[in-house]
Amino acid sequence: MLSTKLNLPLLAILCAARAAHAAPPDAYLLHNARVVCVSSPTLERGDVVIRKGMIEAVGVDLKAPADAWVIDATGLTVYPGFIDALSTWALPGAAPPGPTARGTSAAQPAPTAPANAPPPSKGPEDRPLSATFYRAADHISPTDPVIATMRDGGFTTAVVFPTNNIFAGQGAVIDLAGDRPGSMVVAAPAGQYLSMKTNGFSSFPGSLMGTIAYIRQLYLDADHYKLAQSIYASHPQGLQRPAYDENLEGLNASPRALLPAHRAVEIDRMLHLAEQLKLKAVLYGGEEAWRWTGPLKQSGVPVLVSLKWPERPKEADPALEDPLRILEYREKAPGTPAALAKAGVRFAFFSDGLAKPADIRKSLKRALDAGLSKDDAIRALTLSPAEIYGIADRTGSIEPGKIANLTVTSGDWFDDKTKVKFTFVDGQQYDPQPEDTKKPEDAVKTTEATN
Amino acid sequence: MKPILILATAAALSPLAYGADNSTSYFIRGATIHTMAGRDISNGSILIRDGKILGVGENLTAPADAQVIDAHGMQVYPGMIDSFTDTGLTEIEMVRETSDNSELGKFNPQLSAWMAVNPSSEHIPVTRANGITASVPVPNGSLIAGRASMIHLDGWTVDDMDLNPTVALHINMPVIRTRTFHFPEGATERPFEEVHKDYLKELQELNKFFDDAHRYEKAKAANEPGFETDLKFEAMIPVIDGKVPVMITAMREREIRDAIAFADKQKLRMILAGGAEAWKVAAELKARNIPVVLRPTLSLPEEEDDPYDKPFTTPGELYRAGVLFSFGSYDAQFSRNLPYQAAAAVPFGLPHDAAIAGVTINAAKIYGMDKKVGSIEEGKIADLMITDGDPLEEQTHVKQLFINGKQVDLNNRQLRLYEKYKSRP
Repeated sequence: MLSTKLNLPLLAILCAARAAHAAPPDAYLLHNARVVCVSSPTLERGDVVIRKGMIEAVGVDLKAPADAWVIDATGLTVYPGFIDALSTWALPGAAPPGPTARGTSAAQPAPTAPANAPPPSKGPEDRPLSATFYRAADHISPTDPVIATMRDGGFTTAVVFPTNNIFAGQGAVIDLAGDRPGSMVVAAPAGQYLSMKTNGFSSFPGSLMGTIAYIRQLYLDADHYKLAQSIYASHPQGLQRPAYDENLEGLNASPRALLPAHRAVEIDRMLHLAEQLKLKAVLYGGEEAWRWTGPLKQSGVPVLVSLKWPERPKEADPALEDPLRILEYREKAPGTPAALAKAGVRFAFFSDGLAKPADIRKSLKRALDAGLSKDDAIRALTLSPAEIYGIADRTGSIEPGKIANLTVTSGDWFDDKTKVKFTFVDGQQYDPQPEDTKKPEDAVKTTEATN
Repeated sequence: MKPILILATAAALSPLAYGADNSTSYFIRGATIHTMAGRDISNGSILIRDGKILGVGENLTAPADAQVIDAHGMQVYPGMIDSFTDTGLTEIEMVRETSDNSELGKFNPQLSAWMAVNPSSEHIPVTRANGITASVPVPNGSLIAGRASMIHLDGWTVDDMDLNPTVALHINMPVIRTRTFHFPEGATERPFEEVHKDYLKELQELNKFFDDAHRYEKAKAANEPGFETDLKFEAMIPVIDGKVPVMITAMREREIRDAIAFADKQKLRMILAGGAEAWKVAAELKARNIPVVLRPTLSLPEEEDDPYDKPFTTPGELYRAGVLFSFGSYDAQFSRNLPYQAAAAVPFGLPHDAAIAGVTINAAKIYGMDKKVGSIEEGKIADLMITDGDPLEEQTHVKQLFINGKQVDLNNRQLRLYEKYKSRP
């Protein structure tokens, strides 16, 4: 049983200091919990001290600071807050602008009326399907209901990206709590999201090879742009000024490139592309990465593994039999995490559109069934994504000096009965939302009745 | 008779002196005759007169007035029949003006392929140079596409070419296809439930059209004043009376089974066209005596995991199941490859004789024309070829060709182009 003890005198002082605000305490002691530190061995009976949003101390039998709100966590398990390595959470309806919306306010959805349709692009100079300059950090919606839902499912952090274009824009690492977008952002830009989209039959690029050629061109242009800008900056006199290009600016601002790679052939293709362009690459998808662990290990490129395991669409024609190739792809995809762990390839998980925390856990368990160890699974939800995005100095494990993002559960996370008791995000405690026992239909009926 | 007179003049001028009509009698002697009706005859003779085969056998004597053709060392086969073709309906597929093989609207039983055939199509001489003497042009629109006809590949007018204007009513079985392709959006996926509903609706419409045809027939028989003639339903009467079979194009097992159920329900005589997965339904086809006009053997298997040779082995499987089948080119310019489609099945389990039958007598049987064409027998129309070998072999040459008892010029566009460019410096 969970019990809390109030340090009344200290609270009074804090309240006075904060004047009108009934501010919650900013110091806590989680006492006598199983602490899964990830970066160091698990403490079976450990304590964690949190202060001003940070982890102050981790250890056994720590002395409670005088001002700390002590939470008896006996029987509970404390994990570093889970990180979704790639999603669009908190970016609701933010249709990142395609070439249509260039020059207009990026926050507005791209115009859809055919009258406003852009002229077909003829080549890379038209920057087709490119919005490298679109910054997810500028479009965070703190009221997106998915934030609370996923926090209740143990996620305290997400790396969110726009996903609509070939160059979709810059992602941001955000913490899943807060009233203001600015305070939610942990790190930005997190990288540039790329897809292998084509532009239809009548507009460049109309084929995969065109898309890849375009990607190569834009990176080459960005290098040249950087050089031209620096030369001009040091000798503006007597030199023709280089033209401003929002897409090249956006590309140069992106510290890494997220490349789609599902099948082995795509993984191989993207590894080659990354090597040729000397990109700091992160692959996303990874369904068939089990087949390509050797080259992945050699390249050092990490993989974001989709938790939406491929399966037969529910709406498929029941008379159509899937070919062996597809069946194997579906069957073996959940074995990817175990294969990557065994080969020593760095990987993290991403939700890939899964909307319910329960579905995410179900997917994780399929990876365990396919041979992944629990420790590796937790690492791929915590420290590994932090390392991939270069923020392991701030988050991803339970150690002093890191952001106090913690997921406190009733037991082992992979046990179906285990529930999230509460989470800490930026040192603030969040209880799960009350469960809605009413079915949605009933709710609608009630609303109608009262109307 | 004016056209024939003009033709006769033209023929007289021609150094090859091919017959302008079938008034000349021919006596072919010394050949190995593959009659496709009983055993082969070696050193046999054939007498052709007035467009008919007057005699076949070993001990015939040449009448004094007959032109004797010495065919020692040669083979004689019945002219081949392409059971499903676009020949004469389509000249160049990508040129809309030359493509006359389909009509708008779901129900077009009144259309007749024969009427639309272009007797001057360049594909006709090319096709017959390979030994094909007759073919079945088929209208190919949506649902009830129109009436298939059997034509001779020779003649100045469609009347000259006519063998039977209505050998079957062609129906395209509705298909459940969740993945469709549109320009310029590309491939789109629709939920099965939605597509299935459309499919059932189309089947319902098809059944209703047949039910309406029955009502029309009854109203017509009542002969009440004010009865209005409707060409669509007029064309349906021989079909619902069982005089004309329906030829239903269906590829996949489910569509084939549904087509059989439809024909059962409407009590129709059915021919299955396409039939890529007919091998899965062979027993039912045999039990109901439903013949199959097979899609080209030189095509890809339906499923990724099907054996690569599935289209090659299918004819042999149908043969062993006792299903009557023939081959069709389903094309205009490649109708000439018909014998090689049959040939492709031979190394994969189809007996050679059955392969030849599939491009001759079985095609005639399927369309109810076996009293007239498809074999070399006394009384039949004189459609035959003299070759220097097996017509299923690509190296074999057709030396002489007779259609309707008339010796036919084997020159064609491809030969002319060959001659022209052979001497190019």
